[in-house]
Amino acid sequence: MAATGQSEGDQLHTVVSDHMSPRRILTGRLLIRFATLVLFAMAIVQALHQSGRISLGFENWRPVLYAYLFWAVAMGVSQVLIRGEQGKRALFVLPAALFVGSMVIFPLLFGLYISFTDWNLASPTGPKFNGLDNVRQMLGDPFYWNALKNMVYYVLAISVEYAIAFGLALLLNAEIRARKFFRVAFLLPLMLSPVAVSWMVGKSMLEIRFGPVASLARFLGWDSPSFFGTPEIARLTIMVMDAWTFIPFMMIMLLAGLQALPKDVLEAAKIDGAKAWQSFWQVIFPLMLPVSITAVIIRIIFKLKLADIIINVTSGGPGGATDSVTSFIFREYRDRSNVGYGTLLAMVYLVVIVIFVTTLLSVVNRWMRGVNEGRTG
Amino acid sequence: MSDATAQIFLDTDRDLAFRAKWYTGRALIYGALIFWAVISLFPIYWTVTTSFKVAADVMQGNLIPWVDFQPRWLGWRTLGLSPDSIFETSTVREEFLKRFMNSVIISLSASLLAAVLGSLAAYGLSRFSYRFGFMKNSDISFFFLSQLILPPVALALPFLVLYKELDLLDSRIGIILLYTLMVLPLVIWIMRDQFKAIPVELEEAAMVDGLSVWGSFVQIVLPIALPGLVAAFILSLVLTWNEYFFAALLTSTDAKTLPVMVASQTGSQGINWWSMAALSGAAIAPLVVIGIVLERYIIKGMAAGAGK
Amino acid sequence: MKTEVFDRLMAAQVNRRTMLKGAAGAGAIATATAAGLGGITRSASAQGNIRPEMLRIPGVGVGSPTDRDWQKVGALTLDATKKNVASGEFAGVELTFLGLNNQNLHNFLFRGFLKPWEAYTGAKINWIDLAQADYNARLQQSIATSTVDFDIIEMGAPFEGDVLGKGLASEMPAWARDQIDMDDYVDYLKAPVGTWGGKTYRVSIDGDCHNFNYRTDYFENEEFAAAWKAEGNEGPWEVPKTWQKVQAVTKFLKGKKFGRFDANGYLDPLKGWGGFGFYFLGSRATAYAKHPDDKDWLFDADTMKPRINNPAWVRAIQDVLDVLDAQPADQINADPGTTGFQQFLAGTGSMLSWWGDIGSNAKTSDSSVVGDDVAFSILPGSDDVYNAKTGKWDTLASGPNYAPNMAYIGWGIYVMARVDSDAKKKKAAWSAAAHVGGKDISLWTAAYPSGFQPYRSSHFDIPEWVGAGYDGDFISNYLASQLDSYNHPNAAIEPRIPGIFQYYSVAEDELAKIYAGKYSSAQEGADRIAAAWDKITDQIGRKGQIELYKASQGA
Repeated sequence: MAATGQSEGDQLHTVVSDHMSPRRILTGRLLIRFATLVLFAMAIVQALHQSGRISLGFENWRPVLYAYLFWAVAMGVSQVLIRGEQGKRALFVLPAALFVGSMVIFPLLFGLYISFTDWNLASPTGPKFNGLDNVRQMLGDPFYWNALKNMVYYVLAISVEYAIAFGLALLLNAEIRARKFFRVAFLLPLMLSPVAVSWMVGKSMLEIRFGPVASLARFLGWDSPSFFGTPEIARLTIMVMDAWTFIPFMMIMLLAGLQALPKDVLEAAKIDGAKAWQSFWQVIFPLMLPVSITAVIIRIIFKLKLADIIINVTSGGPGGATDSVTSFIFREYRDRSNVGYGTLLAMVYLVVIVIFVTTLLSVVNRWMRGVNEGRTG
Repeated sequence: MSDATAQIFLDTDRDLAFRAKWYTGRALIYGALIFWAVISLFPIYWTVTTSFKVAADVMQGNLIPWVDFQPRWLGWRTLGLSPDSIFETSTVREEFLKRFMNSVIISLSASLLAAVLGSLAAYGLSRFSYRFGFMKNSDISFFFLSQLILPPVALALPFLVLYKELDLLDSRIGIILLYTLMVLPLVIWIMRDQFKAIPVELEEAAMVDGLSVWGSFVQIVLPIALPGLVAAFILSLVLTWNEYFFAALLTSTDAKTLPVMVASQTGSQGINWWSMAALSGAAIAPLVVIGIVLERYIIKGMAAGAGK
Repeated sequence: MKTEVFDRLMAAQVNRRTMLKGAAGAGAIATATAAGLGGITRSASAQGNIRPEMLRIPGVGVGSPTDRDWQKVGALTLDATKKNVASGEFAGVELTFLGLNNQNLHNFLFRGFLKPWEAYTGAKINWIDLAQADYNARLQQSIATSTVDFDIIEMGAPFEGDVLGKGLASEMPAWARDQIDMDDYVDYLKAPVGTWGGKTYRVSIDGDCHNFNYRTDYFENEEFAAAWKAEGNEGPWEVPKTWQKVQAVTKFLKGKKFGRFDANGYLDPLKGWGGFGFYFLGSRATAYAKHPDDKDWLFDADTMKPRINNPAWVRAIQDVLDVLDAQPADQINADPGTTGFQQFLAGTGSMLSWWGDIGSNAKTSDSSVVGDDVAFSILPGSDDVYNAKTGKWDTLASGPNYAPNMAYIGWGIYVMARVDSDAKKKKAAWSAAAHVGGKDISLWTAAYPSGFQPYRSSHFDIPEWVGAGYDGDFISNYLASQLDSYNHPNAAIEPRIPGIFQYYSVAEDELAKIYAGKYSSAQEGADRIAAAWDKITDQIGRKGQIELYKASQGA
């Protein structure tokens, strides 16, 4: 992957005053070639050693990792040597790209491979390639489709979370005393570990006899409170617990957005005599759209990975009503060691999410452009 | 306009009505604030008080220490962290402290690494246009963002195999690298907005003064973007500190972390709520402290990038 | 055993710290027990009577045992090790021990027990702690990716198929077998459990079975008795001995009041518990499904054909469905932990199948309000039993068919085969295992909070328990229910085949749907489970499973 910086689209224009001596370019080329050679040589030697063809080799692949690190450094240096200023720019993105690439490529390829195998960890024979069998099984798996359907509900719940988060952000942005206290208090749920929340909230506070929430419910007139008794209520309870931890996340983003709003616009709205409600809908809300969209999209991504609370509190019950895709895959994978099928489900889910998120992004982008043009035009 | 004129021709009725309205508004605002503060804080209060209860207090749902029940050190004693056990040898405390230290080291390192890699990449992406093969800036950004989407389950076994071959199983470095990968997209996304909000003219001026691209980045841009970086760092810290799935899978003795210990407080014999609460409390305490101390950075950091 | 009892007593008792003030070193143990044993020192106790002294550490009513107590017990019971191992013999050996990390149970104890052992032998132990939920997954992954990174493992017998069946464990040396006195095990823990292909691999540290816990105050209640008769029910108002009667009583109690509270009959956990929830359907089914003339009850050993959808199992599922509306509110989200600890012990419900933990908690736990009103017996029987060979329901001449469910068959300590290449390491590993599973130490784990139940014939010596501070009648009734189950000729012992918890896990998912009314009938749901089980069997390899099943039966 050679980086060719294109200065046409750059935001930051720099004066390129490089005098690239041929010697310098040559050194760069030699360096990267040498590093590549070392890396490949070591990888091949180790691969042969591993397969038992040659006795020369290392105990594990760790030395190859070092060779990769060396190659990565050489890559960076040679970029600067060969391409000067352009190379220095590439250095900004290169480390992260090389890091992510090296961490993800192997697991993804290997994951792709096992998702087309029949591999139960308890099986003595190991993975067996089984073509599209896993796909066929998935198509007929009521648990998976049920979990996907639940995900739709869970994602829809974000609209309520968003409304609450917006309301809280507005409250915090109002002229209030003890603002610092309220901000910290509202933020804290985000800090808590989902595992601890599952136990202390899901199991202790919602305990139907001695839990304080149940006592409150009884006090308010709900005679026999039951938070996981029926599918609808159970799903709602999970949604509420998840919302509790993540509303602060959207809230701080929205609050940050509110604080960045130009003051004069708000003043103008006030002076025009607009009612608070009107000024919100006509001025603040449209201005807040971009940050809202970012917040909601990030929230959707987190929501699609919802699992910890479900695994710990309901295990997907009653009758699968609270199952999320991740919690179902988790059971298939962890409790039943059905690695091949479980991985396929995860891969398919990944594809579904990527398609969903890209579509969402492009729709939103187009819509935003329309809104902006509409306003300016 | 109308308000302004109204102020001149005050008549007592309207004035009173106005005040009444103002007070109702205030009451509503503070009512809502206090209501939500209770919702946010009560579970934490519940956790902390439960760690000082004994079984009878838990069963009766007692709420207020010294009024409803007499606080006891039972929960903390099981961790070897109560006043009477703190000086005794306790294998439980050793275990807790080892995991606590591992959690500290791993989450700090991973967040730091992600902050460095992430802000560099974010700066590059916000200032220059790249072309890696077929990938342009927006594709590269999405490539990074997509790491956030990956369901961990899909990568569990591959990572186990990879780490086994690289001899990184049960090592802190292995977990640090994995966690870095996990939070990097978040850092890049926050920092890109940060850098976009900083006018390019600043750097251009700096470069006229003779600074290089990197020089102006380090000396001019980074200090301005610091609140955002702190915000990203804290969010990374939260996510890495609480990570459970990979920790349960890839660690055993050397790199074990706290969430695994919290999760394993349950077994075949019911739950000792006081121990559970004490451990949960100890596990969330560092983040709560960070939240209290560094809260203003989070909002400030987000604010610079928001709405642009 | 449960921690609460000690915690409560602790609160009421003298401050332990004051008691132990000035007590330093092992010699002070006896003085600290304040039981008039001041003169007994360790060397004296080595003459053979360490058991009463050990049972007084820390003493019932002196607070929850702590790390210090575990270490004392470990030191006190080290004599058996000393006979086989010289001091410092294992210097330089490092072992890795994988076990459960539960609140003050399992690994917490082992750490304390083995600390004096480490000091004596010079070996060092590294610990891998796992949450119960991660245990199966972690073990399977280690095996499948050949990343077994432990030398000693605490493991339940159901996993023997996965580990022993694949030759991953080290065979027990004869000296270790002598050290732990294997003949003392209760009958059902003797071979074939713990053995594979005729070789012995397991140091048992626990015995498991479900027994029947019931409320005596319910069944002595005059109003119930009168109403029972008035409603025209068969037989007297008494503790059910059969599942048929359990059903009748549960239906009868529906809607009635017991004191101020709703009366409930038998408690069914309707939510899964990482595979462990399946055992509770098993307890309802064994009396129907385990025929005295047939070893098999869950699968046909010859074909691995599931029996889960045969009339016996479907009847058990139907039984659960029949009393769904007689369960407490929110039961659909109640897992066995809830039914046991948050319902039964807290006074909800009158009958329950559970492991022995309920009994050891009933009287002593603070969360228990049922105290004196609980008694125990083996699981109910059935008037008729299904004969899978003939496809008919048999009525036995001997009366109702009883078949206690030996759910999970208890924990054991196993040594992994990877130590076999190093003689010193192997001996060290087995010595550690034998120390933890020693005869004397096991009496202590049976009597104090440990997560383990009695499992040796020598554990059923009532005076020893009374000497430790237990109530005679209560402990007799409790131990009798255990012993009757352990030594029952028709005990239902689960197949020790690879992946057995996968079967349970998938069954739990389907059962949840059955209980939530997603299928038209119990039969349809059971057929789904059977199909899923067949799929798992084929995936793991049917031929291999059949062979391993037979091997595990000792054939």
